[in-house]
Amino acid sequence: MSSLAATAPLTHTLALVGHPNVGKSVLFHRLTGTYVNVSNYPGTTVEVARAVPRHDRSASLLDTPGVLALPARSDDERATMRALLNEDMRTLIQVGDAKNMRRTLNLTALLAELGVPMVMALNMTDEAKARGVSVDVAALGEVLGVPVVPTVATGGEGIARLTEAFAQAAVPAPLLRYDASLEQEIEHIAALLAEHAPHPRLAARGLAILLIGRDPEVDAWLAAQSGGAPVREAVAQLTAAVGRDTAPARLARERNAGAETLARTVTRHADAGDRSLALLAGRVAVHRLWGWPMVLGVLYAVYLFVGYFGADVLVGLLEEDFFGEVLNPAVTALVEQSVPIPWLSDLLVGEYGLWTMGMTYALALILPIVTTFFLAFGILEDSGYFARLSVIANRMFAAIGLNGRAVLPMVLGLGCVTMATLTTRILHTRRERLITTYLMALAIPCSAQLGVVLGLLGGISFGATVIWTAAIVCVLLFTGWLASKVISGKRIPLVTELPPMRMPVLGNVLKKTGGRLKWYLVEVIPLFLLGTLIMFVLDRVGALPWIISAGEPLVTGWLGLPAEASAAFVMGFLRRDFGATGLFVLQDQLDMVQAVVGMVTLTLFVPCVASLMMIIKEQGLRIAATMLAMIVPTAFLVGGVLNFVLRLFF
Amino acid sequence: MTPPTPPPGPRIRLTGTPMGRMVRIAEFGDEIDPLQREQLHAYGLSGSHPVRVLQQQPMTVVLSEHVELALEHAVARHVWVEPA
Ligand SMILES: Nc1nc2c(ncn2[C@@H]2O[C@H](COP(=O)(O)OP(=O)(O)OP(=O)(O)O)[C@@H](O)[C@H]2O)c(=O)[nH]1
Ligand SMILES: [Mg+2]
Repeated sequence: MSSLAATAPLTHTLALVGHPNVGKSVLFHRLTGTYVNVSNYPGTTVEVARAVPRHDRSASLLDTPGVLALPARSDDERATMRALLNEDMRTLIQVGDAKNMRRTLNLTALLAELGVPMVMALNMTDEAKARGVSVDVAALGEVLGVPVVPTVATGGEGIARLTEAFAQAAVPAPLLRYDASLEQEIEHIAALLAEHAPHPRLAARGLAILLIGRDPEVDAWLAAQSGGAPVREAVAQLTAAVGRDTAPARLARERNAGAETLARTVTRHADAGDRSLALLAGRVAVHRLWGWPMVLGVLYAVYLFVGYFGADVLVGLLEEDFFGEVLNPAVTALVEQSVPIPWLSDLLVGEYGLWTMGMTYALALILPIVTTFFLAFGILEDSGYFARLSVIANRMFAAIGLNGRAVLPMVLGLGCVTMATLTTRILHTRRERLITTYLMALAIPCSAQLGVVLGLLGGISFGATVIWTAAIVCVLLFTGWLASKVISGKRIPLVTELPPMRMPVLGNVLKKTGGRLKWYLVEVIPLFLLGTLIMFVLDRVGALPWIISAGEPLVTGWLGLPAEASAAFVMGFLRRDFGATGLFVLQDQLDMVQAVVGMVTLTLFVPCVASLMMIIKEQGLRIAATMLAMIVPTAFLVGGVLNFVLRLFF
Repeated sequence: MTPPTPPPGPRIRLTGTPMGRMVRIAEFGDEIDPLQREQLHAYGLSGSHPVRVLQQQPMTVVLSEHVELALEHAVARHVWVEPA
């Protein structure tokens, strides 16, 4: 699943393209055996993935981020456009949604102009059938001049026929002619392109349409061509809008009309009277009254599964009973017997021992919690509930200058902030991306951290968990509100699609959970070990007592925590969750207020190294540094204020 | 190529349409910015295709050919519709 390098070797390439959430990634898995994340919301794939297809080991198949339309308007759509421009594109496999042919054909109308041989996989035919929609596949294939294969990607139906159809891929017949003035412009630009900057694979006419539609990637490509200048000049002169519609909107409207006409001739609708449980759940999820109780219900169910079953029952079994009573005493005895050097044995099984601290934290404390969390999360992702949350949360997000679309990266941040930072690509403006990235870096705890928080606070009382949640939400809203005032730009109102609620697919949930657990083990454990090593060294050279006394005014005075908690903050610099574990082991010395204040401060503290790297990659070093410089003081400020406020009551 | 447009009738705002009603999108007001206009076209919200209004609060939700679309009132207010 490597992302696209700028200098990708030119191999025979096929690409799955289509609208968001139509099943491209499921098909990719079927065609290559390589699993990439599949979820029931638009915007799961935000980077191009690549693998060798089973049918031709010398070729390369791409899974691309879904595009609502081309020209590309968001960063994930731009990634798709970049792949189309820079790869040796031999076959496009458009993945369409059989229950919505109008939209599918709308995109076909554009893809058809690119002059690349195409095949259409008409996916979700099961859902179309359930809704009484039938598509005349033969007639559609006839009109388009390309093979059209009905598929049910999740059930593996039609995959063999689809693979066979690749050999018959053909350049489609154009679906429509635009109005006379647009056609004139298209021909003009296309002629210039053909003369000055011909593309090795893509047709000049298609590129001309994209250029007139102001596609930023095609423009960037053109700027890099030696003969690009005269073409870009000609495009710049075409700005004149006709009536109130700009050229891009006129192109989109005409394509839509063309798609509508064709869709009508090949689709039949019967009233299926589909009244499933999923449909009802979908309605309740966005209902103006029932929507909120459902949010709370879902949260409580997750709390029971992760906070009680994972953090209480499973951790109890593993940490106290198994590691505490059986494994660690045995390992300690073994090491002390066989390692004669005291400091070395201390390094392994001492107070800051690699096994007794690092591995025990990672395996006994956090692993059970993240496992339950990833399972719950995967089920929710597959159900389609997250997309509906954006409707419920839209008002709240309006207050912080965002719209409900930002719900998705933020919720994904609860899984892993690093990956979620990448998902901010689905947002439409730089401003939205910036605010969302900042809020996630500050106030969204990732699964590992959430696990420790639930483990500690859940053990104290449900109320403590509620206070922690309320504090974090307040920080999120207040900071977001401030950020939206400081960062200039307009808020974009939300227009979004709500995918149908579906029964989660067990196999998919397990696969995704497995992949995420692997990430956890590979990324978190080495850091935990490194952190333990640092603590061990600090302790050995006598720096720890010094740090503890140096941190005293801040940690003891301002935050009201025991002096030993300073160590947790040192650990927190490596990973917030590691720091949180440092507090977790102090739990017997903490009262409720101290536990809440400590956890709130550590939740806000600093983003982990991996997510910091991701912020640098997506936003640049300067912005990342600025964010960091604001986050650390904010954490201590909030912690101290919270300490003060809570002391008034408890 | 454009399908026959229905005879001009009374136009109302999408936000003013009762739940459960079938309507046709007549036009987008000038207040909707060009990028969003393009987005609405891409979702298939134009032409003479009827959509069903599913709810108005907290956002306007319409069913357009088996796909639910949610629109914030700031946008839906400027979408003009006529009875289907
Ligand atoms: N009922 C049904 N569901 C399907 C089918 N194909 C995919 N799905 C479901 O549709 C959802 C989206 O699938 P993905 O493969 O992630 O879609 P995608 O096109 O890659 O989406 P993006 O990456 O967001 O562009 C998942 O919940 C799948 O389980 C199908 O043929 N029938
Ligand atoms: Mg995908």
